[in-house]
Amino acid sequence: MSFEIAKQAIDYLLDEKRNFQEDGVIWDFIGGEPFLEIDLIEKICNYAKLEMYRRNHKWFNNYRFNFSTNGLNYHESRIQKFIEENHSHLSIGITIDGTKLKHNLNRIYRNGKGSYDDVVKNIPLWQKQFPKEGTKVTISSDDIPYIKESVLHLYDLGIHEIHINCVFEDVWKEGDDKNFEKQLVELADEIIDNDLYKDFSCSFYSEDIGKPLKDNGNWCGAGMMLAVDASGFFYPCLRFAAYSLRSKKPIVIGNVKDGIDQNKLRPFLTLNRTTQSRQECIDCEVAGGCAWCQGENYDAADTNTIYQRSVAICKMHKARVRANNYFWNKLYRKLELQGTRDDFEKNRRKVKPIVC
Amino acid sequence: MTKKLIGQVTPEERTEIQTLFERRNGLNELAKILTADNAELYEKLVKDLGETGVRFQRWWNQMAEKYKWESVEGGNWEIDFNTCHIFLVTQ
Amino acid sequence: MLQYLNILLDDSAVSFCHYEAEKEQRLMSIDTLRAGIRFAMMENLMIQYVFPDNTLPKEYYSVIETIDHFNIKRDGEDSDVCVVENWDFSKANANVPIVVRTTKEDLFQKYQLLNGIITQAKRINIIIKKVDSFNNDDFEEYKGILNALGEQVERAYIDGLSPQLNILTDRMMLKEMNNCGAGETTITLAPNGKLYVCPGFYYDDEADCIGDLENGLDIKNKQLYRLDHAPICRHCDAYQCKRCIWLNRKTTLEVNTPSHEQCVLAHLERNASRELLQNIRKHGTSLSMQEDINEIDYLDPFDKRDDWK
Repeated sequence: MSFEIAKQAIDYLLDEKRNFQEDGVIWDFIGGEPFLEIDLIEKICNYAKLEMYRRNHKWFNNYRFNFSTNGLNYHESRIQKFIEENHSHLSIGITIDGTKLKHNLNRIYRNGKGSYDDVVKNIPLWQKQFPKEGTKVTISSDDIPYIKESVLHLYDLGIHEIHINCVFEDVWKEGDDKNFEKQLVELADEIIDNDLYKDFSCSFYSEDIGKPLKDNGNWCGAGMMLAVDASGFFYPCLRFAAYSLRSKKPIVIGNVKDGIDQNKLRPFLTLNRTTQSRQECIDCEVAGGCAWCQGENYDAADTNTIYQRSVAICKMHKARVRANNYFWNKLYRKLELQGTRDDFEKNRRKVKPIVC
Repeated sequence: MTKKLIGQVTPEERTEIQTLFERRNGLNELAKILTADNAELYEKLVKDLGETGVRFQRWWNQMAEKYKWESVEGGNWEIDFNTCHIFLVTQ
Repeated sequence: MLQYLNILLDDSAVSFCHYEAEKEQRLMSIDTLRAGIRFAMMENLMIQYVFPDNTLPKEYYSVIETIDHFNIKRDGEDSDVCVVENWDFSKANANVPIVVRTTKEDLFQKYQLLNGIITQAKRINIIIKKVDSFNNDDFEEYKGILNALGEQVERAYIDGLSPQLNILTDRMMLKEMNNCGAGETTITLAPNGKLYVCPGFYYDDEADCIGDLENGLDIKNKQLYRLDHAPICRHCDAYQCKRCIWLNRKTTLEVNTPSHEQCVLAHLERNASRELLQNIRKHGTSLSMQEDINEIDYLDPFDKRDDWK
């Protein structure tokens, strides 16, 4: 992305107060690897800060710069200078997949060498600078055997919050749900038996999931955010950009010059659960927490619509619900026998769900 | 370091100090990149930093007065924005 | 439930709705026509033939007559619906519904031509092209035109007539949505032997079909053509709205979601109908049995979406 495109996008957002009435803004930088372009990012962030201030925009009082990084150059002076200059407005997540073996399966340099060691050496600095930040892990079929050891390993590295979810794409094989459930039950045993629940959290386990749903809201936030690509085209989420889609045409909702075509946003802002779901999903007794990605729904749909919910994740969600039930039943029984349930309730860690 | 819960403010009061807190942070970080070359904004920033600091301190003074918070020499008050709880922090 | 099959007898068949029929002449083969008729008989569908301007080969007419049907033509003679373009009423037939396809610019300039016709024609359907090009000034202009036409209709009622002008009188008569029905009640057979949601889908992209005569109909996500799966329309009471599926797809990319412009136009019509109904009632007992049309404070139901939760 050129600075000029970024500048136009910022100007558009700040000019269009009528269409962006939220109290705050998150400027989210997604790569590739965003910190490879730290000079550009610094220039963009400085422009955003100056413009929010110069225009007396309310977002100056409530903004964040958000980064998901592979962490490889986190220690470099240019990155550290940027962090020092913006620390109170930064949210930085370093992506580490789990154990060395698991991480190096997918995250390798051009020469084939795994990147685990280079990432891990930056974790202490990152945790020192951002002790409340967690990491985000995405599970696909081949990752299932590594779930338990990976989460425990991330805890060992000092990461207290693990945001973890299954991919929404239809990658699941026969028996994956059973193996997934087994991993989550074993992980539950480790967390509870070793009292890890006191200081660590894993988003697989949540009391909010696995109940019938009465709420008719949309799960996914596509359309509530604005994504801009390097050429200056706007999308309801980057999952609708050409490079994110397998077979469908991108859904472009505008560009930095002409602004947003509000008509293209209407379907996103009126989506609800029942309109896009099959009857079995509407009636599902464990629907709570069953997530969907609007972009994947669109990509997998029989027609060019965002109104056909993909159910590829169904078996995995049900497996998660069973393991989740096991987790809470076991944990509460332990706490009750110990007489510490009240203490737990009072001090329990709150995990903010991150879905994609 | 010890932290003792000594009171709670209303959500409206919390929002007021949170906005001032965010603004103060924003101004401080802006000060790192804004130079005197940009005279108009620089002047605005300097004035704003002073005013925001005053309003920030005034909030703590007024709340301490209103809620009669406990204090000790060398200690300071801290707010949890999520719960609106006020803590007395001592070394 | 499907009830109608439009058969486009030629690629240059007249457009009777919002879409543009911008293709060269290509006659449907007589075998396709026969197969289309057979398909309609098997599926229990009423056929609406859409004719081109040129005369068809003689043998086509005998095939066409093998089943009960409606004719949609530009020429009013022997038509059940005639289509007027460019405000040229020379070939129109007052005894059948007249579809007046117009640009907004022509409508704004020539709407007074309707004054004499409203009382003579059996029914007038105004179809405005390029609805998505309306801006706020255009909406104001349209509102004024609806009021002016409303006065004409009101006078006709005083004279004991019951004229039908879709954009003003339909809403007074309706108790529920009465929309285009493409994909739900109506489908289209094109000259290539394939089936489409409506002619507009065919003219946009021939590959965008919903089956063919050989393999039958296959409407994917067909629930999305129904009112109960239309997130905005199901909350709406502009019952006369075309709810044009083709325009929906073109402007919002979804068949079940109308554009802002379509909603505002429909609500300007709805509100003008409300006023007209009240005015007509002042003159006596006409339309006293019709349901009241409530006053509302919006022109686009999308703006009220927070109330639906």
